[in-house]
Amino acid sequence: MQFLQQWTETSAFFIWLRESTSIWAYPTVFFLHTIGLVFTAGVSIIIDARLLGAARDLPVAPLARYFRAVWIGFWLTAASGVVMLLSDLQTRLANGLLPLKMLFVVGAVVLLALLRRRLAAANVSPLTRVLAALSLVCWLGAIAAGRFMAYLQ
Amino acid sequence: MSAWVLPIWKTIHYVAISVVVGVVALVDLRIFGIAKQLPLRPLQRLMRWAIAAFLVAAVSGYVLMRMNPANSVMPLNAAFAAKLVCLLLIGLNDVLYIATGLKRDVDGVAAGESAPVSARIVAGVSLVLWVGVVYWSWMLSFLAGAI
Repeated sequence: MQFLQQWTETSAFFIWLRESTSIWAYPTVFFLHTIGLVFTAGVSIIIDARLLGAARDLPVAPLARYFRAVWIGFWLTAASGVVMLLSDLQTRLANGLLPLKMLFVVGAVVLLALLRRRLAAANVSPLTRVLAALSLVCWLGAIAAGRFMAYLQ
Repeated sequence: MSAWVLPIWKTIHYVAISVVVGVVALVDLRIFGIAKQLPLRPLQRLMRWAIAAFLVAAVSGYVLMRMNPANSVMPLNAAFAAKLVCLLLIGLNDVLYIATGLKRDVDGVAAGESAPVSARIVAGVSLVLWVGVVYWSWMLSFLAGAI
């Protein structure tokens, strides 16, 4: 931890990220975080709604094909999130909402992996629906926790 | 004003935009050839959800603008103007998509079939413009000194 703290305080990249007023520094990393999240959460929410019984005329199995794109969006969000965390390690770790947000994110990702397999097998059992409902809760929770982290400091 | 009001409206705004972008991404990526086993008619019918979510995003966006007009319209923030231009172009793109009958043709694209090149162009323009909407939203906060 100490090493991580020292590294982020002295690394040229993180100093630039913290101190630069360039549009290519912090605002761009923040944008990548959001665009990845909006895409990943958005596609997940629609798939969850389908599994919960909406748009029944839409076949379920081919939806699994979207997951490669969904994972790209997720990694974009995760990587930019780690960069923002490291850029201001102490303040962000001190934010009481971070563990809650991470709980929602980990839940959402585990559910994504579970749901992908169920989609591919066209499995719309009651358990699948429960997982889809939990997935919705996790995405809404992650977005809300992120906003509350930013505005309640 | 309670400290909770702003993050609550922001959450509503974000979730609504996520739903819009989710539907747009599913339709546009299918037109590009991803998940080709999906017939396009039921997929395009999801655009009704996107329209409903867009209305929620517009109302919550208006509330956010009124809460803090200095960030967007007083004085006019260039990034906010760019965001509105992207939204206008999205509207135009969609109107043309429907008015030219292209949407009806795409509705007929069955499972396993490819969408026409003209539809791919419309889908590409739509995706780029939606990324633009989110991009200018962040630059809006940057120009306003909020991030």
